[in-house]
Amino acid sequence: MVDPNELLETVLGDVDGILLFSPTTSFYEQFVDADVDVVVVASENDLDADPFVELPVAFQDVYDRVRFGIEGALEQGLLDDGDVVACISSVFDEDLDTVSRVRVDADSTSGVYDLFENTRAEPDVLRSVLELVIELGKKGQKGQPVGALFVVGDAGKVMNKSRPLSYNPFEKSHVHVGDPIVKVMLKEFSRLDGAFVISDAGKIVSAYRYLEPSAEGVDIPKGLGTRHMAAGAVTRDTKATAIVLSESDGMVRAFKGGSLVLELDPEEY
Amino acid sequence: MVALAQLPDTEQLPEWLLDWPILLISMIVLVGVVLGYLLGRVSKSVLEAAGVPQSVEGTAFERTAQSLGTSTVSIVSRMLSWFVYGVTVLTAIYAFRPADTDWIWQRIVVFIPNVFIAFMVVVVGFVAADKAELIVSERLRGVKLPEVSLLPRVVKYTVIYVAFLIALGQLGIATMALLVLLAIYVLAAVIVAVAATKDLLSSAAAGIYLLLREPYGIGDRVTIGDREGVVQEVGVLVTHLEDDEAEYVVPNGQVFEHGVRRERN
Repeated sequence: MVDPNELLETVLGDVDGILLFSPTTSFYEQFVDADVDVVVVASENDLDADPFVELPVAFQDVYDRVRFGIEGALEQGLLDDGDVVACISSVFDEDLDTVSRVRVDADSTSGVYDLFENTRAEPDVLRSVLELVIELGKKGQKGQPVGALFVVGDAGKVMNKSRPLSYNPFEKSHVHVGDPIVKVMLKEFSRLDGAFVISDAGKIVSAYRYLEPSAEGVDIPKGLGTRHMAAGAVTRDTKATAIVLSESDGMVRAFKGGSLVLELDPEEY
Repeated sequence: MVALAQLPDTEQLPEWLLDWPILLISMIVLVGVVLGYLLGRVSKSVLEAAGVPQSVEGTAFERTAQSLGTSTVSIVSRMLSWFVYGVTVLTAIYAFRPADTDWIWQRIVVFIPNVFIAFMVVVVGFVAADKAELIVSERLRGVKLPEVSLLPRVVKYTVIYVAFLIALGQLGIATMALLVLLAIYVLAAVIVAVAATKDLLSSAAAGIYLLLREPYGIGDRVTIGDREGVVQEVGVLVTHLEDDEAEYVVPNGQVFEHGVRRERN
């Protein structure tokens, strides 16, 4: 008969650090004096924890959440390549209930932390766009699935690498992605063809843009359509980030530097 | 007070009560104590229902009160009670002595509400000052500069100063010199603010024009002064230009100073 604690010991033994995902205050305080490094990963730092990684989205998939936390900690220099960390997160309820043992590998990072933190656009802007796209993907337009392509950041260059398909409905307007009206507006505009262009500070510069980047050397998974190809290509040509809602499979995908960085199912949010 | 002074003449009072002034006084005291106690309780629950405890939470005044085992709400309601007790005592004394013999009592009776109001102003001023300090420092939390912590304190003491001025004015103490001091201080603050933000104001005025008329938009290639690049962002205060090597943050004031050269495409 094996003692359950011994089983846990094989998971938790000899870790170099602990990642706490959205811990409660009392839970966090137990770890304050621990002799390993404790990193808090949460959407808001209301604990005033010092090693802290901000979660831009409440990733439903634990794999994504852990990956983001580790890459964030790695980027901030809190962890080193080859470290073994225990990630304590929640799967079923709000409470922390799951421990996973992960080896940090600096060579095979997916760039999901990079997507939000080291971009031209402000992280808040990217987060609002992602939220918008997730909502659009969940509800569709009049019950029908819609596709959409948002190009965020480096708007000057993106505008020069694209041409208008029709009159720009956002001309001389000063609408920002965080504004409450945008949700309704974009739902209506999403039936338009072409891409939305959003500036670094979150201003919606244009809709109806036909992107004309060179698609040379763009490496995206086979089977994705022209919208994804355009998204991948424009991020390779400029410093922008592209967020795509697929019309055919309803998935939200984010591209940066010409490659697919993040894939989310809007139904899970 | 006039009504109370006439009390012995009123017909409702039985004869024997007038013969026993001690009884009259003890009745006044009894009514006063009950009234004061009730007023304290009622005001406490009214203040609690109005959400005062939540709004003063975290202020230094509240923390001091907490460390003394009480709270802002109970201090205020206790003060109301004591105010009524004070009036009761004075009334009792007043009833004991006829009005014309001792006019000093009259002065005191008239003065008491002013003292009370002054005290209330000071308490409210302290709480408001703490609250203002909290709000300002909350706003400045993102600015990680040690010197910036001076600003919330300046705001706090300004509010306290104004509260004291009002309180002293309520008591009829000459506050002219303090008022002059306040005026000088406010004037200095305004002058410094205007001088410091002169360029910001002119840039903001230009920026509002740029946002309304959009002579150039994101994606246009423009030259402002000696800086040339693609417009990346147009804000109220600055325009971001970018060429292959660098990004320029150009104050909008310069747009009006030098004009803009926009390339046609």
